[in-house]
Amino acid sequence: MHPGVTPLVEVDDLHVHFGEARAVDGASLMVLPGEVLALVGESGSGKTTLIRAIQGLQRPTSGAIRIEGDPVDRTTRPKIQTIFNPTVQMVFQDPTGALNPRQTIYDVVSEGLRIIGQGDQESERVADALSRAGLRPPERFFPLFPHEISGGQRQRVVIAGAMVMQPRLLLADEPVASLDASIRGEILALMRRLVDETGLSILVVTHDLGLAWNIADRVAVMYLGRIVETGPTEQILGDPRHPYTKALLSVVPETREMEQQILTGEIPDPARIPSGCRFHPRCPLLQSGSLPEEIATRCPTDDPGPVAAGAASGAACWAVSSPDSVGSALTP
Amino acid sequence: MSEPLLSVRDLNITYHGHGGEVPAVRGVSFDIEKGGSLGLAGESGCGKSTLANSLLRLLPAGTEVTGEITLDGQDVLGLSPGGLRAARWTSGAIIFQGALHALNPVQTVGDQIAEPMLIHKTAPSEKAARQRVVDLLGRVGLSDARADSYPHELSGGQRQRVLIAMALACDPHLLIADEPTTALDLMVQAQVLALLDDLKEERDLTLMFITHDLSVLTYACQRLAVMYAGRIVEEGPAWDVFENASHPYTRALAAAFPTIGDTSSRMAPSGLGGDPPTPGSLPVGCPFHPRCPLARAECQVAEPGLRPSGPGRSAACILV
Repeated sequence: MHPGVTPLVEVDDLHVHFGEARAVDGASLMVLPGEVLALVGESGSGKTTLIRAIQGLQRPTSGAIRIEGDPVDRTTRPKIQTIFNPTVQMVFQDPTGALNPRQTIYDVVSEGLRIIGQGDQESERVADALSRAGLRPPERFFPLFPHEISGGQRQRVVIAGAMVMQPRLLLADEPVASLDASIRGEILALMRRLVDETGLSILVVTHDLGLAWNIADRVAVMYLGRIVETGPTEQILGDPRHPYTKALLSVVPETREMEQQILTGEIPDPARIPSGCRFHPRCPLLQSGSLPEEIATRCPTDDPGPVAAGAASGAACWAVSSPDSVGSALTP
Repeated sequence: MSEPLLSVRDLNITYHGHGGEVPAVRGVSFDIEKGGSLGLAGESGCGKSTLANSLLRLLPAGTEVTGEITLDGQDVLGLSPGGLRAARWTSGAIIFQGALHALNPVQTVGDQIAEPMLIHKTAPSEKAARQRVVDLLGRVGLSDARADSYPHELSGGQRQRVLIAMALACDPHLLIADEPTTALDLMVQAQVLALLDDLKEERDLTLMFITHDLSVLTYACQRLAVMYAGRIVEEGPAWDVFENASHPYTRALAAAFPTIGDTSSRMAPSGLGGDPPTPGSLPVGCPFHPRCPLARAECQVAEPGLRPSGPGRSAACILV
């Protein structure tokens, strides 16, 4: 689907089970070099487990994760090297909680370099990372403690601490959810600029579709451990195919022209994933009774399967039959 | 326009801390008519939660509050302790933010919802209170069985609904919702907003809704008030203000949440530089001027008051 481009990250039929609970249950996705992929879904969809597996912090039950073609194998590398793998860095949701209140900004940002033993030209690299993150002049921030700077600046420090490692991939888990509205745009603009300027890739986990519209090249929608729809942002947010994506989009407060499809209840327990299509008990399309008989009878019994690994776009739904959906993966 | 259920006049709230006086709310006035809804927007530290808590006198002892708060015909600031206890839960109730911390971890949620009804004797017996708990849980989309659950057995969204059920227990006339959806997923947020909408219709409930997400307020409320540095800087019909803000600060807040499909915001997140001022040391002149893209020399001289900016609208900016 993307000829000639080697994906930076490939997640192939990943399963992460905790006892009966199938938190990640056949998820496949890829992140291309220099792109922002937004992974969206509700709490309990398995988003966080999936990115922990990409970091090497969570051992998969089965399936493969490759970063720049190399398998992420938690068993063959010492744990500390996995966590401080400079290729993959993390930006957390709450910058105040992510920073040690007793460390100066300089110590926070330089810590990763010291851990991986790349302490040469340390202060130059710290200064460079801080100014890339928009904290200028960087030297002014060196001696400050987290409580001496604002919430927006703290998130910039967290980003600088990741950027100092010269990563190829940033994993960002709800990077602006705990920030004020006015600061949000600044941090998103910074993330997009880092991608455009350095060729970095970002996998951003969020339930905020406006964030995806603001910065993501592509969107992957996750439901109960699987990717149920993926494609370019304009397509997913402009013309969603999967009834789950449609419902999510319909409840964004700004899209008030759309008829709201409020799903009842919450995402089911991953220890009791519904039969057939896992979305069918909450599916507004199935409940509307408008589906042809031959499709409606399949939904509760036949699993449409996940969106295929490497698919540029597709939706895991029996009712979606457009030519660019993932035909082969959908046929059992 | 019908009689206001809540009327606030020239409210000033000052905290006396170790660092001296901190003026958190500075001269705020507004009305909410019976059955109406007001959305209060602003960033952390703008005074919106202080304002909300003052409406039922829930601020820490020693906080200086001046002005007038009239709720349900009662002078809130002048109420005796007994009168205040009677007014809480029945005249006005609050849904607090942070669903995890607002519930007692060692009491079932059913008991917690029943408690205000028994104290206020709005339910004649424990049995009647129990029945009403089941009704309320159903109303917020939870099953009866949840009455016997402890808070840790519930998800964030479920706990938030429990708080809403509890706030509704004594049929309050005014419901104050302080960031009720901020910690929730999009779909649960939509469920909560739809629930509040239904309640407004069914019970003629008056709503004051507080969050920094202008798009949520615009969806949920008829009128919108935007606070900055302890003052209301813009007020008016919600959709009107959101779509066509008069104050540059409102404009920045509105742009922070893009309209999906709007090509001008695609790959172009919009933010506002700088940080909100600390309440203890406000800039001279308009407190927004250091961050304002349109600031002029005169903005550094005097703080503008609210002035008319359209039908039913006002804004505190000299450019209006």
